[in-house]
Amino acid sequence: MLAPGLLVLVATTTFPLLYLFWQSTQNINLAMPGMGGYIGAENYVRMWEDRRFWAALSFTSVYTVVTVALQLVFGMAMAMLILRIPRAQWAFRVAAILPIVLAPVVVGLFWRTLMLTPDFGIVDYASRSLGLGSHNWLGDPDLARFSVIAIHTWQWTPFVFLYLLAALAALPEDLYEAAKIDRANAWRRFVHITLPLLRPAIVVVVILRMTVALSAFAAIYAATGGGPGTSTEIINLYAYRVSFAELSLGYGAAAAVVLLVITMVVAGLLFRLRRAA
Amino acid sequence: MRPRTGGALRNALLMTVAALLLLVWTVPILLAVVTSLKNEKEVLAYPPTLVFEPTLKNYAAVLTDATSILPNLTSSLIIALATTMLTILIAVPAAYAIARLRLPGKQPVGFYVLATQLVPPIGLIIPYFLILNRIGWMDSYQGLVVIYITFSLPFAIWLLVSYFEDIPREMEEAALLDRASRWQAFWHVVLPQARGAIAVTVIFVFLNSWNEFLFAVVLGGATVKPVTVAMYNYINTEQTQWAQLSAAALLAMLPVILLGVLAQKHIVKGLTTGAVKGVGRR
Amino acid sequence: MSKRGEVRLEGVGKTFGETRVLREVDLEIRPGEFFSLLGPSGSGKTTTLRIIAGLETATEGFVHLDGKDATLLPPGDRDVAMVFQSYALYPHMTVAQNIAFPLKMIRTPAAAIDAAVREAATRVSIEHLLQRRPGQLSGGQQQRCALARAIVRQPALFLLDEPLSNLDAKLRVETRVELKRLQRSLDVTTVYVTHDQEEAMSLSDRMAIFMDGRMVQVGTPEEVFRHPATVQVAGFLGNPPMNLMPATLAGGRASVAGLSFKAPQLASLGTREVTLGIRASALEFADEGLPGTVTLCEVLGEEIIVDLDVGGQLLRVKSLQRERIPEGTRVHARIDTARLHVFDRTSGARLEP
Repeated sequence: MLAPGLLVLVATTTFPLLYLFWQSTQNINLAMPGMGGYIGAENYVRMWEDRRFWAALSFTSVYTVVTVALQLVFGMAMAMLILRIPRAQWAFRVAAILPIVLAPVVVGLFWRTLMLTPDFGIVDYASRSLGLGSHNWLGDPDLARFSVIAIHTWQWTPFVFLYLLAALAALPEDLYEAAKIDRANAWRRFVHITLPLLRPAIVVVVILRMTVALSAFAAIYAATGGGPGTSTEIINLYAYRVSFAELSLGYGAAAAVVLLVITMVVAGLLFRLRRAA
Repeated sequence: MRPRTGGALRNALLMTVAALLLLVWTVPILLAVVTSLKNEKEVLAYPPTLVFEPTLKNYAAVLTDATSILPNLTSSLIIALATTMLTILIAVPAAYAIARLRLPGKQPVGFYVLATQLVPPIGLIIPYFLILNRIGWMDSYQGLVVIYITFSLPFAIWLLVSYFEDIPREMEEAALLDRASRWQAFWHVVLPQARGAIAVTVIFVFLNSWNEFLFAVVLGGATVKPVTVAMYNYINTEQTQWAQLSAAALLAMLPVILLGVLAQKHIVKGLTTGAVKGVGRR
Repeated sequence: MSKRGEVRLEGVGKTFGETRVLREVDLEIRPGEFFSLLGPSGSGKTTTLRIIAGLETATEGFVHLDGKDATLLPPGDRDVAMVFQSYALYPHMTVAQNIAFPLKMIRTPAAAIDAAVREAATRVSIEHLLQRRPGQLSGGQQQRCALARAIVRQPALFLLDEPLSNLDAKLRVETRVELKRLQRSLDVTTVYVTHDQEEAMSLSDRMAIFMDGRMVQVGTPEEVFRHPATVQVAGFLGNPPMNLMPATLAGGRASVAGLSFKAPQLASLGTREVTLGIRASALEFADEGLPGTVTLCEVLGEEIIVDLDVGGQLLRVKSLQRERIPEGTRVHARIDTARLHVFDRTSGARLEP
């Protein structure tokens, strides 16, 4: 029973990864097929010296940390809020499911067109009505970075919300009753009972969201394509563009390897955290 | 005695905040729906109009034009269905075997499966691209389905293993004592109880396959173009055709939206069991 | 007496990874017997049961069923039926389907299945619940369903793993009696695992007592009660537990808790450090004997149990005198020396003078 599944599993995961490592040491230029060959660590050296790479790395960190933090804060706040309005819960469940099931590419497209287009997008309309003026949400490098983070946060906060809502609902009532008898106010109860009890759930959801944020692609691709220029290029996108736009697959492979290592390290740290929880 | 009004005011405040939040998360979709029913001219009207004459022209165009997304919808369906069925067929017995195996090596295997989920897809795209090119399976159904299975399978197995582990062993032991073979025990006793878990897995695998973009755009082509890639038809030109884009996108997302709304209990349950690895793909 | 269901374990042991949970078990269960495996949690009794069932394989030794070597035989081929502690009922099937399952697996024709299911259900008085699902049954009914599923096959051997532990106290005692009657009427060899010594005493023809992965004594309830083989067994059987006190034997006298009394029948044991055991019911209040102060008096209706502080040592006395003795009273407890148990202080083994 086990054999076919395990075989496929091992084959499909190990083999491509090994191939990837191998490719990262090659010079593969599809535009000039004759010139390929083993070049050792040269791709990595090139990356080390490429400012665009470092920019991508820096933005990736900012992107990941900010969106996960925002998701956590908003998700938690919403979960605590909705917990107190049991009648609204079904409406929120449905509303929360929708962003999650949409394809990220569609989300990116919607935001790019309907929401953020200067003059016609609804966000721009709202900002103008509030006296904040019209802006080039996706054309200005800083605003674009902000927008891209907002899009990811919009799509995935409902996940955190649903997850924490379920976790909160599962907390035992009697602990709160004991705390009330011990005269703890609402904030104290939150900090000393809710948060510690939720810690394992929070850690899990942070791990999940971080890994998804690190491997985000379609939404950013759809919204900005990595631009303007390279301002919203996370490493994922950097690797893609380099591989397929410049047809330099070896170099792209190296970038992918770097991202892989980063993801493993982050996940490893977070798992260590979870074990300690 | 606590004055009553304090409570009522607080409630009203909470409701307002809740309503605002609801708005934030539903606006983009509602906007898309509204836009898809407008004439192109009306779409670009400023200030944006809420009252207008709805038309289904855009939907018709999107389905019957030269650039109809109908073939793309079909492609997506074929790929998603094939991937889901094959994945489940392989994953269920494998997950059961893993759950029941008393191997000392089970922990590292579990961790390994987990780790495979963390590999950024871009890392796999390049090797797959080169491999598929080599064997001539680029832009083909079999190529895409096989690749989709490679990332659905670990995920499905991971999901199912924890469910299977929750089914008490004693039931199968009772069946074994009753002269059932391992297979009969699995079929008559374990499987019926795993129905819910399998349903959740099917939903997630289908969702992920339908929504996949990166692999589709790199490994597909002119013949096999899932609907997520076909979205781009509507952005190419300088003049983005918003109304048609909205109509196309909503049609493309219809299956997943329906799935989401109808199966929301299952989805929420699947999301909140600790074993679920990220639902969303890039 | 049934001719089937003979079990013989030879040098059976089990190791899980690094831990040895069972060692050197030699056991013989006769056909038709009600045989209990008794011991505290973790003593190896359930492991032994599972080895007999074939759900675990012994890492040492042999298992013989009805004279044949069954050590490596899969559970389905052993003609054994088992009732699990959790009942292990199939939740998605009705009671009738649950009971029918073993017969379905051996492809019994449908009509025969129906009759057998009905008969088994009637034997345990659940014939009116056949269309319900396990989730709709009470604990006691679920347990009967598990029983019915086990007996429907008319197996050679009947294994029960603490089947009463999930029931409330009153139900436990009632069901106990029914179980014994059932076994007698079916005349099937039964192996019964429990940690409740009263249960084992009441139900068994013979029992085996497990401690720390070893089988320390086998015998009828009277044998193990009256002649416990070790200090542990002595302290395990009986309610309240046997009083155990460190003592010194010398020159035909026993010194315990600072007192000394004549014990001529123990003279043959010479001079040594021992543990003396005396049951609460073998002590009685008298004018002479061990002096002590009452620290607690439990009035149970038909009898009283008194905790005595005898020179720093706790002694429990069971008396049929029904009036409460107030705390602080000074009394004397006389030992019925004919019912003294002696155990070696270091090894805990029983010493016979």
